[in-house]
Amino acid sequence: MKHFIVFILISFSQQTNAQELFVMTEPASNMPAGAIGVRTLNSFMYEKDGTLNYHIMPEIMWGITAKWMIHVQSFHSNRTTGGLKTEGGSLYAKYRFYSNDDMHKHFRMALYGRYSKNRADIHQDEIETMGHNTGYEGGLVATKLVNKVAISSSLSFEKALNNMPNYKFPTTQSNNATNYTLSVGKLMYPKNYTSLKQTNINLMCEFLGQRLNANGKSNLDIVPSLQFIIRSQARIDFAYRKQLYSTMTRTAPNGFMVKFEYTFFNVTK
Amino acid sequence: MKKIIFAIAFLIASVITNAQITKVEIMATGLTCSMCSNAINKQLKTIAEVEKVDIDLNKNLFVVTLKADNKLTPKTFKDKVEKAGFFIGSMVLSVNFANQNVEDNKQIDNYIFIDTKAQTLNGLAKVKVLDKGYVTSKEYKKLAKTFVKYQTYAKGDEGIFHLKAI
Repeated sequence: MKHFIVFILISFSQQTNAQELFVMTEPASNMPAGAIGVRTLNSFMYEKDGTLNYHIMPEIMWGITAKWMIHVQSFHSNRTTGGLKTEGGSLYAKYRFYSNDDMHKHFRMALYGRYSKNRADIHQDEIETMGHNTGYEGGLVATKLVNKVAISSSLSFEKALNNMPNYKFPTTQSNNATNYTLSVGKLMYPKNYTSLKQTNINLMCEFLGQRLNANGKSNLDIVPSLQFIIRSQARIDFAYRKQLYSTMTRTAPNGFMVKFEYTFFNVTK
Repeated sequence: MKKIIFAIAFLIASVITNAQITKVEIMATGLTCSMCSNAINKQLKTIAEVEKVDIDLNKNLFVVTLKADNKLTPKTFKDKVEKAGFFIGSMVLSVNFANQNVEDNKQIDNYIFIDTKAQTLNGLAKVKVLDKGYVTSKEYKKLAKTFVKYQTYAKGDEGIFHLKAI
């Protein structure tokens, strides 16, 4: 325990290149082995009636080995009346199976999966196991880094099950979907490094798409974001999610997001 | 016979004890940002025999100064960099030699000098580790062709290191 506290105090750090630490998607790179990260995603989404709802998703991440990592996450929101309520949680795992690295660049690929439980009412066509649906998702992500630019793309299959306690998934809706993402990040500052204490600024843009396999309904969102990396330790992201088009019902696709993250280094062997 | 083998083993061991790694210069691949450098930095600092780590963030160069009388091999550093999620692009060791005769394809304990002219190394000298995992994957492909005559090189035994005096 003493060691744990000491490590927390003196040594947090992060592993993946900041340019690929995207707000909405995970890159193919993992955290360092033995590191534990904590983060929260705070979303302020506009409902159709103009009201703003708040979602908070705290997450703990663990780099088991250099190739394997897991995340445990919980979902809370004030979408229904009565203040902030816990709606569910999820378990996520990622395995980096390919890595081709060279000076100032890499190409990596990883497989990932998520299983989520949720007790919210099912109120839209869109399937989202991160915070809305009980279900699972499995996919492949590839990430290319060249100097100051990172490009990452993923393809996944997502299936919704019945939500707890007895919100059945509507038989009239498609219960499975294909998701695709494209994320680009660029290190804007500094031009040249002088120390680990310099603040890094990354500019990012992500595209998130979903197609419901049973009925062909689809959507596409754009998420521009600005990221600050402080003392090579902490991370703060500011993002805005905007729907580009949608042929499916979605209750609150647009809104602002703020994400905080720390990684506690060398916590486990 | 046993005595002779023991004597030879002792001699080899003492030769290596005389050749002490004092500094390791590691160029890491697969990263550009300072956070990743920090991840490697923190991993390297978990090695008890490490005195300090100096970093050139623009080159991803880590200069690791070691404490005296360490028995570390290059593999310790490779494992740490890979635990951080990255790879080694080049590794140069500063070794304190005591009148060590080296020649091409000569093995001294776990180290084999290759692509090296016969010479006597005395005092601080730099040697480059040429094995798989200690050079970029592209460079290794080239070296594997060039060094086909060294049978131990292609074997890729993780406990044997191929060095070139530079």
